[in-house]
Amino acid sequence: MAINQHLYTILGVPPDASPEEIKRAYRLGAQRFHPDANPHPGAAIQFREIASAYETLSNSARRAEYDRQRRSIADRRPYFTVHVTPSRRVVTLLDEPQVLYLLTEVAPGRPETKPREVVVNLTLIIDRSTSMKGARLDQVKAAAHHIIDNLNEADIISIVSFSDRAEVVVKATPVGRSERLTLKALVSTMQANGGTEIFKGLDQGFREIKKYLNKQHVNHMVLLTDGQTYGDEEACFALAEKSTQLGVAISGLGIGQDWNDVFLDKLTSRTGGTSTYIDSPKVVRKFLEEHVRNLSQAYAERVQFSVAPDADVILESAFKITPSPMPLPLDVQPIPIGALEYNRPVSVLLQFQLPRLTRDGARPMARLDVTGDIMAADLEDYKAINDVAIEVAANPPAESPPPSILNALGKLTLYRMQEKAQEAIARGDVAEATQKLNNLATRLLAGGQEELAAAARTEAMRVSQTHALSDEGSKMLKYGTRALLLPPPEEPAQQG
Amino acid sequence: MIICPHCQAENIEGTIFCEQCGKSLLAESGASAVSTQRLDKPTDDLGAKATWGTARFDEHATIVMHIHEAPYPIELKPAQETILGRVDSASGARPHIDLTPHGALQKGVSRIHAAIRRGDDTLTLVDLGSVNGTYLNGQRLVPNQPRVLRDGDEVRLGSLISHIYFK
Repeated sequence: MAINQHLYTILGVPPDASPEEIKRAYRLGAQRFHPDANPHPGAAIQFREIASAYETLSNSARRAEYDRQRRSIADRRPYFTVHVTPSRRVVTLLDEPQVLYLLTEVAPGRPETKPREVVVNLTLIIDRSTSMKGARLDQVKAAAHHIIDNLNEADIISIVSFSDRAEVVVKATPVGRSERLTLKALVSTMQANGGTEIFKGLDQGFREIKKYLNKQHVNHMVLLTDGQTYGDEEACFALAEKSTQLGVAISGLGIGQDWNDVFLDKLTSRTGGTSTYIDSPKVVRKFLEEHVRNLSQAYAERVQFSVAPDADVILESAFKITPSPMPLPLDVQPIPIGALEYNRPVSVLLQFQLPRLTRDGARPMARLDVTGDIMAADLEDYKAINDVAIEVAANPPAESPPPSILNALGKLTLYRMQEKAQEAIARGDVAEATQKLNNLATRLLAGGQEELAAAARTEAMRVSQTHALSDEGSKMLKYGTRALLLPPPEEPAQQG
Repeated sequence: MIICPHCQAENIEGTIFCEQCGKSLLAESGASAVSTQRLDKPTDDLGAKATWGTARFDEHATIVMHIHEAPYPIELKPAQETILGRVDSASGARPHIDLTPHGALQKGVSRIHAAIRRGDDTLTLVDLGSVNGTYLNGQRLVPNQPRVLRDGDEVRLGSLISHIYFK
């Protein structure tokens, strides 16, 4: 078992700190994050870590032993880093609340580490309800065939299908230990029939993936569905929580217009997975293929992000910008964010509300803590901490926000506008929803997004007449504005 | 508190994009895109008489837009939605009718200013949240609220005056 390399970082003291400094750092940490002083769930996590670090470092014998072990680690370069860009370096001393954004980027610290093929333990959970009949199920089968052909010998695959009951189509097995043709034949036997009970599928899939569960693997379930599940949502969320604890992420692919995007977002975002909207069955294969390929590119897996704002600061929202844009849950701490890939940093935009400020000078505002399993080094629970402090001044110099924040926030604003329109409809505020959609259409048009702008305009008109969005328009706007956050596709690599 | 210069919504200090209309709350720098200048003089007194031409606009009809002091009128068959504004390569804004040749920038026309929309046998004019406003026969339109256009109406975008005739 590797030692926890981070005790000094957790306390925020240098390795040569005196016992008094260590004691002072502990007291300061307790003041900021003790559950009695700070109710935020992220704070409780930090307090536990600080208390446990203090337990070792405040005992001279245990500290000496820890230092000895720590010195034996030859290469102390970080495995990943957490870089934070605030929307303003210096905030105004102001007798009213103010907003501050932090763009947080987690990047591999040793990208030169030779990428190695990570073993993927993959479970496909396929909806075979009546509505999947025809092109949808055919395309899903073709996609599954393709995945079976392209997995490595060491990778593990299992396939479960479900309607109002679940069956194991392919039992969890390393691909190299069975005949690929046989696996594909099993996939071909699937027939569409019956209702949609997602929990039954998830539960069966979870049983299969657990057979080969391993921290050195990427353990991932992909749910493909085109319908709504009724009454078992809570059971699904409970399973998602269990699955996260075991290090299994769940991603969702919604096909067509009728599936429940709110449900799938909530389910997957709790596990570090992603949810994707596919309007045509023809692109199922492309998406699934890319998704599985990205899984094997993991530099770190089971990356978790914990945000502990200081007691008087409020975390208002968290949104993952890259690699796959999606809102992150605020009620779950730590927040699972999936894998960190070799060549794509994970970036998250956090929105905080600062309290009335009464004193100038530097002050802490939040501690960000990222942990993950480093795949290339077989290292579990590696940690990087960034304790964010801000400077408060009565007359701060004029500065414009960094372009990276402007760019991300400008696009995120569009996503938020459709979200607010949906919220307004849920409240029954038709006028507000129509206004928001019209504003969104104007902003989209100004940004050159003609197709999405037209969709927003159409939906605005529909809302004013029918008091509801169409399923199609609502998904198009939600996933369309989300996709604006993706970096533009890279130029194909030059040959030779 | 920051008051949005575009829609007057109140935003909490430090906000960068208006919560209501989505536009930037930063003072426009003009470094990349040419931003629409707020006109100094209030333009309400440019006086226009209400007309009462026909509102009927059948499917084969076309619009003739006479821009004040322009050498020639613009004639068009309106699509479902026709956007009036000015092209700005930096922001990617692409209105259907580009008023740049008619001094749009000096006259305070926004990049995406207003739209003419087709209804059943009628046309409506709607302001798309422009900086200097859209006026129909001298009356300023509430953004995003369409008003019926009639033959002979005066349409003013900022201080760019035009008359719309049906043909």
